Amino acid sequence: MSTAEAQQCGSPVGRQRVGFIGLGVMGRPMVQHLLAAGHDLHLWARRPQTLAGLSATVHDTPAALGAACPVVFTMITSSADVEQVALGAQGLKHGMAPGSVLVDCSTIAPAAARRIAGQLAQGGIHLLDAPVSGGVQGAIDATLAIMAGGEADVLERVRPLLACFGQRIVHIGPNGAGQVAKACNQMIMVAAIEAVAEAMRLAAASGVDCGKVRQALAGGSAASRVLEIMGQRMVDRDFSAGIEARLHHKDFGLVLEAARQSGVAVPLTAIVAQQLNALMAQGWGKDDTASLLRVLESG
Amino acid sequence: MKIGFIGLGIMGRPMALNLLQGGHQLTVWARRAESMQPLLDAGAQGAASATEAARGVDLVISMVADAPDVAQVMRAVATAATPGLVAVDMSTIAPAAARQIGQALASAGVDFVDAPVSGGEVGAIAGSLSIMAGGSDAAFARALPAFECMGKNIVHVGASGAGQVTKAANQIVTGMGVLAVAEAMAFASKNGVDRSKVREALLGGFAYSKILENHGQRMLDRNFKPGFKSWMHEKDMNIVMQTAHELGLCLPGAAATAQMFNAMVGSGLGEEDSIALLKLLETLSGQADK
Repeated sequence: MSTAEAQQCGSPVGRQRVGFIGLGVMGRPMVQHLLAAGHDLHLWARRPQTLAGLSATVHDTPAALGAACPVVFTMITSSADVEQVALGAQGLKHGMAPGSVLVDCSTIAPAAARRIAGQLAQGGIHLLDAPVSGGVQGAIDATLAIMAGGEADVLERVRPLLACFGQRIVHIGPNGAGQVAKACNQMIMVAAIEAVAEAMRLAAASGVDCGKVRQALAGGSAASRVLEIMGQRMVDRDFSAGIEARLHHKDFGLVLEAARQSGVAVPLTAIVAQQLNALMAQGWGKDDTASLLRVLESG
Repeated sequence: MKIGFIGLGIMGRPMALNLLQGGHQLTVWARRAESMQPLLDAGAQGAASATEAARGVDLVISMVADAPDVAQVMRAVATAATPGLVAVDMSTIAPAAARQIGQALASAGVDFVDAPVSGGEVGAIAGSLSIMAGGSDAAFARALPAFECMGKNIVHVGASGAGQVTKAANQIVTGMGVLAVAEAMAFASKNGVDRSKVREALLGGFAYSKILENHGQRMLDRNFKPGFKSWMHEKDMNIVMQTAHELGLCLPGAAATAQMFNAMVGSGLGEEDSIALLKLLETLSGQADK
């Protein structure tokens, strides 16, 4: 982290009380960065064992956590789970004070983000939809890209906190806009994984060394982060998860639904979604999305 | 038989009329009162609510737009249920939604049959619909005399939801079929070949299909009046693709077709017949207003 970023992370506002819900592979390193910056962390977890080793105040319900914190982060898998934590019977909505901010870093449907924002607004609570890109490594390195939807001044209030684990923080537009940007991110990234997988498949089927092909391509116009990282995984046949493929499968359901609601044709995305369906059917949902190569090999 | 009928739109009205003509005693209800009038004129009784339409009948049938409508209607039906009532939904909805509605009705003592149809308004008027049914043997047997007034090809496919699975399969075949015929038409004319001659030649071979014959002719006539509206086919393809997503099912052809229907709705062709796919292809291929 550069000196400028280190200052941005924490010092202008000093020690803050921060709530965080969702201590999975992404959430945990994000919390650790907030702790390292000296913030006072308050946690709630559906599975208490995920709290182990974090020095923080633990609450019994999201509502109780919300009552204690002016800013709360969530990092949860599905739209339904975020809605439950935010709006459910013991949800954040029932504890958070007017003027407080919920920063949802989960990847959910844009429509769901707008719905949650509308409900929270009734209690004077602000929502920022702030999904991230960069994966587990990005969370560990505090280099996540963060795409935010909501009011610009609300983003400015929490920007120093986001800077603890994020590098590029962009205000996209009103609520839901962050999730739209994330959907676009997923479309491009997973389509690129499929393209790399197909190239690797063609190379192998033609009796050519995949590693050499990847190496050569990485210096030219086809160079990309996906070719570099996912291509290497394919060459090494290392399908253990970075990000579990089932999450990309989930995201593609959201993307296709959003496209449908907008009356937009996304032919390539739709085909890639079918390859993800096949991946799920063959039981590789908990493996890395580089497994799209295995789908091609099985067909 | 005493039958309650709910939903009197383009499809529901002629289906209900055919039940009256078959000698059944009919009580009807529709959200818009004016759509009940033709049935009342023909001798049906009017009901004040879905619940009332289901009271004291042997069979209740719904023909409405989408899953939430079916669920709402069937909740109303359940409150009027007398033991042994059979409820039939002939709308096109997701198989999973049909199974859920069947379970909810079962706990109210109502036996449920999902029985979507194929054949469009023409088939509904002629009483020649294809009916694909899912439910118990006993419930199907109860509903069969009513089905025979409305349809010709009546198949009891399997348990609850099986009718909707069949309808979704039907929409895969018809959706891709219309797109295939439209692509063949665009292919012929971009090659400078007479499309009507191509159609005529293909009708004699393995590419023969009802869609090539009927939809193909309407493409030649550039008659884009529905028929079957594109937005409805889009809705049905969405049922297919959502089910594929949930099950882990790879359907690349249906996926590409569904995207074309998305584009139809997005470009303002939703109210036209699904053969307007041809117009979309022509635009994409620079064959403006062929």
